[in-house]
Amino acid sequence: MSDHRDDFIIALRYALLKKSAKQKFSLFFLISFSILTITLDKISLPLIISSRAVLNDFVYQVSLVASTPGKFISYLNKEKTKHLNIVNKNKILKNEIETLKSNRYNNIFLKTENTNLKQALKLGNAQNMGDESSVRARVILDQNSPYLKSLSINKGTKNGIVKGMTVFSKNYLIGTIVESNYLTSRVLLITDLNSKIPVIIQETDVNAILAGTGKNRNLNLEYLPDEFKLESNKIIYTSGKDGFLAPGLPIAETYLNKKNTIRIKSLADPQQASIVHVTKGNFNR
Amino acid sequence: MRLLKILKELLSNNLAVFILYFTSFSTYEGLREIQDIIVFSFNLQMIIIYFYILKFPDHLGNGHIFLAGVINDVVIGTPLGVSSLSFLVLSFFTSYIRSATLRSKMSAEWITFIPALFFSNLTYFIIVNEFSHLSFYYIELLRNTFFTFLFFPIFYYLFDFYQTKVLKK
Repeated sequence: MSDHRDDFIIALRYALLKKSAKQKFSLFFLISFSILTITLDKISLPLIISSRAVLNDFVYQVSLVASTPGKFISYLNKEKTKHLNIVNKNKILKNEIETLKSNRYNNIFLKTENTNLKQALKLGNAQNMGDESSVRARVILDQNSPYLKSLSINKGTKNGIVKGMTVFSKNYLIGTIVESNYLTSRVLLITDLNSKIPVIIQETDVNAILAGTGKNRNLNLEYLPDEFKLESNKIIYTSGKDGFLAPGLPIAETYLNKKNTIRIKSLADPQQASIVHVTKGNFNR
Repeated sequence: MRLLKILKELLSNNLAVFILYFTSFSTYEGLREIQDIIVFSFNLQMIIIYFYILKFPDHLGNGHIFLAGVINDVVIGTPLGVSSLSFLVLSFFTSYIRSATLRSKMSAEWITFIPALFFSNLTYFIIVNEFSHLSFYYIELLRNTFFTFLFFPIFYYLFDFYQTKVLKK
């Protein structure tokens, strides 16, 4: 019994304290150093924050280069899929063109009417994103990891981006800035589990919180009234109750899936975003 | 020409270190780039650490493991040092297995990979829960861990072949 215990302690001590020509640091030292790093990161002293920002900027730039082969494989795969589907799509598109031709005049009328109504409601136009309050940025890293759904963009505090700003892609909200470095920033996507946005549902006065689940086509509405029944094809807008997002920004819509269950999907596709606009959240006012 | 030869030698002698850093920088999760087989994502870093610490500890230093973990944290966005600690726990567990084992056998090493992965991931979850407000996709992580375990023999033979046959040539 005593021999077994001695063997166990010897093996444990050997694993923790052993050093060799290649193993310059003992595991005990490195584990202690890791714990110290975690603690310092948690304390967030000004010196640590600025050091981390420099480290982030450096790692993001190297990561951008290192992720090129992965992106290339992804690109090749997408191109292959596109190529295989193109014949079928062509047939469908031909039919659609015929239908669209007949709807064209109707659409022009609706567009004009929509513009007039927007002006009457003083909601402004979503196309004014190029104004001075918006910063245009390029997505440099798309972290589709099981841990966090986030993007890294190539603009930081140097360009006036600060934590809490909102990010739009193709006129739709895709997330908020959660980390701002000197040259780069991180965007937490609305599809992430940690994203919680106060919203209002179309044609109702029901307020709720739109939470991510990690999937683009399966968002979740929290704090809905007990008797409330969600209908399909309803647009979900920001309610502006958080104080920094403008009210009335279209963000998601309800739809019926193949199993006839009502689900919520994001209007923008964050995974497809390559150019984004970062604003203080009020460009739409 | 001489520089090229030195570079080639450096790369072939430190392949594990290069792959470890590359996967940390590129957030490579095996097969994740191919959308159709995205379900088979696995953690190559853990396989490399476990294999090399177990079989060829002189080819992968603990300092590199720590640094790769820090890079991984920066790229993923988790608190700094969490992945390092998780990788070092895996390394510690592997070192213990190595010192406690008399005869090396692939099947036994494959099975001991389960507790090694368990303790490593447990450390990760505890630290993230205590030191941050992040939520996790537990099912995806479980799936990722399962495939990491499942694909271990493939990489075991690949790396073993490289170290014993290719490198010796």
